[in-house]
Parts: sequence; C-alpha cells; structure tokens
Amino acid sequence: MSSREVILGSIRSHLAASPPAELVQSVFLPEPTPPTLRATSVVDVFKESVEAVDGHCVVVQTEEELTGVLKNFGGRIAISDAPLLNRLGIEPSRDNIFDIDVGITTAQAAIAETGTLVLDSSRERNRLVSLVPPVHIAIVDASTIFQTLGEALAFIHQDGNISPAVTFITGPSRTADIELTLAIGVHGPQELYIIVNDGPALTR
Amino acid sequence: MNQLSSETFDKNAKAALADVQLRGALRHATSLFGKRRLEAARSLNNWEELRTHARAVKDEVLLHLDRYLETFVANAEKRGAVVHWANDGTEANAIICKLARDRNARTIVKSKSMTTEETHLNDALEAAGLQVVETDLGEYIIQLAHETPSHIIAPAIHKTKRQVAELFTSTLGMPPTDDVAQLTRTARATLRDRFAAADMGVSGVNFGIAQTGTIVIVENEGNIRLTTSVPRIHVAVMGIEKVIPRLADLDLFLKLLPRSGTGQRLTTYQSFITGTKRNVDDEGPDELHIVILDNGRSRMLAHPVTRQSLACIRCGACLNACPVYQQIGGHAYGSVYPGPIGAVITPQLIGFEKTAQLPYASSLCGACREVCPVKIDIPQLLLHLRSEITSNGSKRNATERIAFKLWAKVMVSPALYNLSSLAGRLIQKVMPLAPAWTRERDLRPIEQQSFRSLWKTKLSHE
Repeated sequence: MSSREVILGSIRSHLAASPPAELVQSVFLPEPTPPTLRATSVVDVFKESVEAVDGHCVVVQTEEELTGVLKNFGGRIAISDAPLLNRLGIEPSRDNIFDIDVGITTAQAAIAETGTLVLDSSRERNRLVSLVPPVHIAIVDASTIFQTLGEALAFIHQDGNISPAVTFITGPSRTADIELTLAIGVHGPQELYIIVNDGPALTR
Repeated sequence: MNQLSSETFDKNAKAALADVQLRGALRHATSLFGKRRLEAARSLNNWEELRTHARAVKDEVLLHLDRYLETFVANAEKRGAVVHWANDGTEANAIICKLARDRNARTIVKSKSMTTEETHLNDALEAAGLQVVETDLGEYIIQLAHETPSHIIAPAIHKTKRQVAELFTSTLGMPPTDDVAQLTRTARATLRDRFAAADMGVSGVNFGIAQTGTIVIVENEGNIRLTTSVPRIHVAVMGIEKVIPRLADLDLFLKLLPRSGTGQRLTTYQSFITGTKRNVDDEGPDELHIVILDNGRSRMLAHPVTRQSLACIRCGACLNACPVYQQIGGHAYGSVYPGPIGAVITPQLIGFEKTAQLPYASSLCGACREVCPVKIDIPQLLLHLRSEITSNGSKRNATERIAFKLWAKVMVSPALYNLSSLAGRLIQKVMPLAPAWTRERDLRPIEQQSFRSLWKTKLSHE
C-alpha cells in the first residue's frame, strides 16, 4: 500500500471512530469596513499604512513627475519587464542581480488598510528585482488600490485562475529575532519606496 | 547539542528557574509579545467573530480532511507540483534526501519550518553528506549554536544580543559588537552567498489552499522568498492539517495569524505559490515538490477533544500567555513544540512514554484558551490527556489515586471531615503540611476554629 493510501486510510478510519459530529458548514463573512476609513481617500489611507510599516510613499500625478522622482535614485539599477519601465528609458545595469543597488517594478494592485503591494509573477518579471537589491521601488496606479485584504484576495483569484507566484509585500524586510529588537533589511530590501500614480493609469 | 528530554521536565524546569539571564529574556519577550497581540486584536472590531469563523473553517476541514487533501493534491498536481506522502518523519526525510541526491543538489537553504524541526530533517541531510543552511535569522543563530528553537515564532528568544555577538565572533569571525543592526547585516551578508549558490530550497507551509492547490507561506525577513525563488528546486513540507478550503478563507487567517503571533496587521511578505512556472524562461524554480506529512496527526482525528489540536496555526500566542512558559521557556519542555500547545501535541505525536509530565506542566489557568486565534480549548485537552495517562495506570499516579479516594470518603462523611480538620490543625503545629507544595509557596495556617464550631458557639445567635 502506498503512503498516500495509508495516510488517507488512517484519516478515514480515525474520523469514523470518533463520535459523529454535527456537520459544520463554514460560511465566509467579509469584514465590514472600519468606519474610520470611509471619510478618507484610498490613497491617503494607503500612504499612511505604508509609512506605519517603515515604507516610503510618494504620490505623483503624471509620467513626467514619476520620471522626476526616479531620477533621485542612482547606482546600479535593475528593472522588471513592465512596459512602463522600458518606456521611461531607465538604463538597467547588466550586473548579476546580487550586485544590484536598486530594483524597480510596478505592482498589479495594492491594499490600503495594510499598506500592501500585490505582485503577480505572470504579469511581470518581478520576483528577484523586488527582493534581492537593498532598495525596491514600486510604481502603483491609484486606481488599482483596494480598500481591504479580502478584495485583494479576490483579485489574485480572478476567473478562478491564479499565477504561479503572487507576492504580498508590506514594508521593507524586517526581523526581531534578536531580543525582539527591530532590524530593518535582513534578507529582502532595506528600503521600500512606493510611488502612487494618482493621475491617468500608467501600469496597464 | 544540548537537547533536553521531556522525560526530565521537572528537572529541566528547575534548572530554567535558576537561570536568571533566561528568565529576564523571557519576561521581556513574552510581555512584549502579549502587549502587541492585545493591541493588534483590539484594532479590529470583530476579533471574536473572526476567531469563531476561523475555528469553524478548521473544524469543517478536519471533519472531511481526506477530501480536502485529495482536492488540494489534485489541484497542485494539475499545476505541475509533484506531491509526496510521508507517514512519518523518517519517510519525509528519506524523500527529501533522495530528491537532493538524484538531482545532484549539494547546497540546501532552508527557511523556518517547525514541521522539519519535528522530523529532524537537518540531521538527516547532514548524515547524507549534504550541506544545509538555516536562513531565518533566529534559526541561523541556533544552528550556529547547535541548539534547538525555544519558541515557535522566535526561535532564539532565549539568547541575549551579547550571546549572539559572541557566537558570531567565534563562528563567523565578526568583530565584537552588541549592535543588533550590525549583527543582522553580518547574517545577511553571510547568507547571501549561500542563497546565490543553493541548488535546493526547503520551506514549510502555513496554508495549503484546496481550491487552487496553492501553498501560502508568511514571513518578515524575505528568506522564504529567496528560498522559494532562487534555487532550481523547491521542496515544501506540509503537515496534513495545513489545508484550508478556499483562498478567500485567508481573509480570516491572514488577519488572525500575524496579529496573534507578532502583533502585526500583516507580516511583511506572503508568498502564494501555485505549481511550477509556466515557461522555461520565467523566474522561479524548475521543480516544486510538496511533501505531505502525517507523523501521528491522523490519530488525533479520532476524538473531538484531540481533533482540535489540528486546528493550530502555530502563532505562538499561547506560549507568551502561559505563566509556565513565561518562567521556564521552551527548552525545558524537551520537545520541538513548547508551551501549552506543545504540552498537548507532543504527547499525541510521540506517545506518553517520554512525555507524561507535559500535560501536567500547566496550572489550567486558561490564558492559552483566551488568546488562541482558533479557540482551541487547551485546558480541556490537557485534562483529557491527563485522564488518558492516569487510566493507563502509571506508577506516578498511584499515590494520587489513593489520595483522591480517601479525599472523596472524607468529604461525604461529616464525622470523618471533622476528624481530619482537627488532625490537620494539630499536625500543622508540629510539622509543615505538604512540604513539596510549600517549598516555594506559603500555605495559610488552618483556622483554629472551623466554621461549623463557630456557627454552634456564636454565629447562629447573631
């Protein structure tokens, strides 16, 4: 008998041995939006949440403004294959990703209540660029910011389909493994800059 | 290895109580974790509702665990994952060692996984001549120190920064410092090379989504993302109880887990991994292997009380809330899983023979039940296990059985009761009662007059 059959058999026989329990049908209930968030715009809430987890957030209205912000970052730069980043004419370095200073990606969505970026690997080559360099810059359209975690979970599972790798990012990499003292930038980026485009959509 | 045994829990606990440094570290950590958890729970207006729902989801899964597992596996395989089933730790380790050997993987990076601690995977890999590096900062520290984790989510909680600095100086040649940021940078730099060179990454799994075949792993450091993105092979080890029905259920669990564990609204990273990449040129590993482990878990399904052990999402909140853990820390339990949840799952996983002291390592105060995000009634489980231990008739409890039989006789007979309270009063004058109990506590002197005699002489006339 294979281990699969042994384990499933053991599960079935032990469940059968237990006193019959009432069948619980779990119902998924979405959380009501906290009333404090309703008054403010989604971008303001997002920015506040990002800053609460030690990220930086800049809001721009146009592509020109965006280019201006990006000019502040020097060093060896790596970019994802997002069309926007190619269009902006950033000169990517040819170095190995482990030698890069700044990684730039877009984000496919974001969550306001937690300050979270949603990166979908099937839409953009973003896995290592957003992770390995000490600085990560992410560009997100304001129109793709959801209010809640629940909405973002529905978004990554649109049409019953999900990408091979989806990553939620909330702030820079952190640890508190030594005396519960916060240290920023352990294995992932030390600095996270999120540029929210509040003008006409750029990333799609 | 200074691995303690559960058999010697009483001794381990006494040694821990005498360790001033350890108790300072524990007091600091458990109170801070507790405070942050409370604030995070209060930041939601429906915390209790979330707990109830999350538990209902877990109960639903556990009652139909075979079907949910089959659905999970079918969906993961459809997306290119290779699923392996392991009855016990030895089988799981053998599967992983064989994968590494067959694919000529020499360097293995690991992210934190309590399940692989449970199977002692590192020992097995090293015995097979493979190099394995723990990459979570806390796990890396204890690997360098040849120790075991003392907390489910903060493995090196028992160490001070000075001890970590001394360890890094002696093993990594780092110049002496007690700056936590510097210690962290040193670990980052050392581990970067390991990631770049690794052939295989081994991770745990927080949630397996039946609906999509997705594995979800949560973290703060980024080492899980590196482990699951950089090497060409990713092996994920998952206990059978990790499966949940739908992706949408994460709206419950991703709210409960980080808030209960570290007091965060969300941990820094959540990785949702579904099968393998679609095109050869895409980023990510070529192969995804999921090892599904039973190792004694399916036995717990046999009774509603023990079944709830499998609802645990490994947040560690019960450790921080437990007055016993707060004093003695994780190592005294002598098992991979410490604290209240460890005291109930360890005996169920490996049997009572070496663990019979663990269900007694509790004052039954109920703090663990209060903080549990999935409402596991740990005191009820402890009592259930105690009753199983006593009905097995171990010698340790023979005296207890006689004592309680006697107590029952005395309590139903007024004459015997009067006699015994008189005797107690007299004996207490010449010798201490219950010397083991009073070694570290005070026993109030028994009143010179009982309520009954007071009533007869005075109170009834008032």
